[in-house]
Amino acid sequence: MYLELAKRNLERAKVRSLLAVIGILIGVMAVSAIGIFGESLKATVLENFEDVANELIVSPNYQEGYKYLEKKDVERIEKLPHVDSAIPIKSDSLLVEAKKKKAYLPIYGMEEKDVEEMFDVEKGVIRLKGSCVVGKRLADFADIRVNSKITINGREFRVAGILEDTGARFDINPNTAILLSPDDFSKVSDAGYTMVIVRADSLDLVDNVKKEIEDKLNSREEKVIVFDLKIILERINEAFSQINTFLMAIASISLLVAGVSILNIMLMSTIERTKEIGVMRAIGAYRTTILKIFLFEAVILGLIGSIIGSVLSIAGGYAIDYLILQNVKYVFQPATLIYIFLGFSVGLATSVVSGLYPAWRASRLEPIEALRFE
Amino acid sequence: MRVVELIDVYKIYKTEFYEVKALDGVSMQVEEGDFVVIMGPSGSGKSTLLNLIGCLDKPTSGKVLINGVETINLDDKELTELRRDTIGFIFQTYNLIPTLTALENVELPMIFKGISRQERERRARELLSIVGLEDAMDRKPNELSGGQQQRVAIARALANNPKILLCDEPTGNLDTKSGEQVMNIIKEQNEERKVTVILVTHDPSLAKYGSFVIRLRDGKIERVEG
Repeated sequence: MYLELAKRNLERAKVRSLLAVIGILIGVMAVSAIGIFGESLKATVLENFEDVANELIVSPNYQEGYKYLEKKDVERIEKLPHVDSAIPIKSDSLLVEAKKKKAYLPIYGMEEKDVEEMFDVEKGVIRLKGSCVVGKRLADFADIRVNSKITINGREFRVAGILEDTGARFDINPNTAILLSPDDFSKVSDAGYTMVIVRADSLDLVDNVKKEIEDKLNSREEKVIVFDLKIILERINEAFSQINTFLMAIASISLLVAGVSILNIMLMSTIERTKEIGVMRAIGAYRTTILKIFLFEAVILGLIGSIIGSVLSIAGGYAIDYLILQNVKYVFQPATLIYIFLGFSVGLATSVVSGLYPAWRASRLEPIEALRFE
Repeated sequence: MRVVELIDVYKIYKTEFYEVKALDGVSMQVEEGDFVVIMGPSGSGKSTLLNLIGCLDKPTSGKVLINGVETINLDDKELTELRRDTIGFIFQTYNLIPTLTALENVELPMIFKGISRQERERRARELLSIVGLEDAMDRKPNELSGGQQQRVAIARALANNPKILLCDEPTGNLDTKSGEQVMNIIKEQNEERKVTVILVTHDPSLAKYGSFVIRLRDGKIERVEG
């Protein structure tokens, strides 16, 4: 009955109640939709790094006097359990001449199959036997084309292919580099293995593999440093979560405004209904009963606003994702439900908190004073 | 049985600049089943006296005993329960809750008491029949005449079977015919159910309903008649 009484009181001032509901609705929608967008943004960014997330980079520990990894170290890594693949890479910075231009550039020595697995070719083919492949940006910069001839450390190579731009990577950056087979690399440089890219069977096993490598290779001395790319993923995740929290905090200002509007509406209602409160107190309502009736009103406003706001936030999140990310696939993921629930809860809590003071004030009215009120 | 007793009651309203003695040493007793009419000009302290008996206000000094219980020592919860279970209020301006129907208005004190839905609905219907409003149960106050609203208010006042009915100018806003109807219902309750009635008015024509009349002036009992 108290709920019914609260409902009827709200119906008494329909426009006012509607405005309060709209306020909460907008606030909930803003918080949830921004949350959904933030999550989609994070997912979109992380998607680019997903294929490297189960990678580990093993490099020599320069600080302990190790410049290269030995062949047997590579073989030991390859034999470890849960290692899907291990790609050894030699690298050096060598003088390259092409079309009368010359510069020191990074040169990588890699197996052809590994290059094929890691990169896509834009022009020509990936063929490293007696020839080389060139990174996209270097090719553009130095006007290198397929079948062009380039000289590396005085030795001539024909360009078999030009790689696609790979964007930013955490392991190696072939965009401004030249890739040779290990045999050809040995002909131009005596550098050894500077890196092994290890792929674990799955993301969950990355830590295990990391530990295995460290146990096996660093048993006597700290020969190698193992860097897992998962940590980057975690940092990105963390950074985006912080950005998301910040965005939602801004959005929740609208909820704060809605809360003030409920506070205002309910305070007005308390004043208008002072005599009614006096009558109810006179005929046997406890202070807590009055408190309950007014709080129910705030809860009803909050519930309606939050429910509609939550439903509309899916549309809001969809619209923002579509406009900014041009990709809406992340709107419909489990995390969206969390943000909807969060928006709903914050909306409802705002309403209840805003209703507390007016409800408390109403309940503190002395019956005799309230009855005298005109 | 003595249901109301006032012993040397003072009620003084103080402001920064002046002091008003609304009640100036009032002592009185009301026995169960009495019909007391309190009369006096405006400002004589009638309403203040009624508010003290109704536990809506506390005296500055003196004692107010309802059913033998001294009200000054009761906390807000106990006073609320005393009002709810022992006293029924009838106001000059009816004071019905505008969002509720006649039936729901009568149910309200029973809701506050925690009576079951079925029982309170049955009793509310019965009370509205007693006041002759069986056809207007589902109407809201703004769909009722003044006389009908006051009859709903009487039904509401009787909801929890009170021992005392406090009436503050119950006919003040009504025409003669409606006023008479209302007074007859109150009188009936007094005679048939032995409900003690304390009625405040400045309408001399209501004096005839009382078993005795208390005349107040300047916060003091001037005389008791009957």
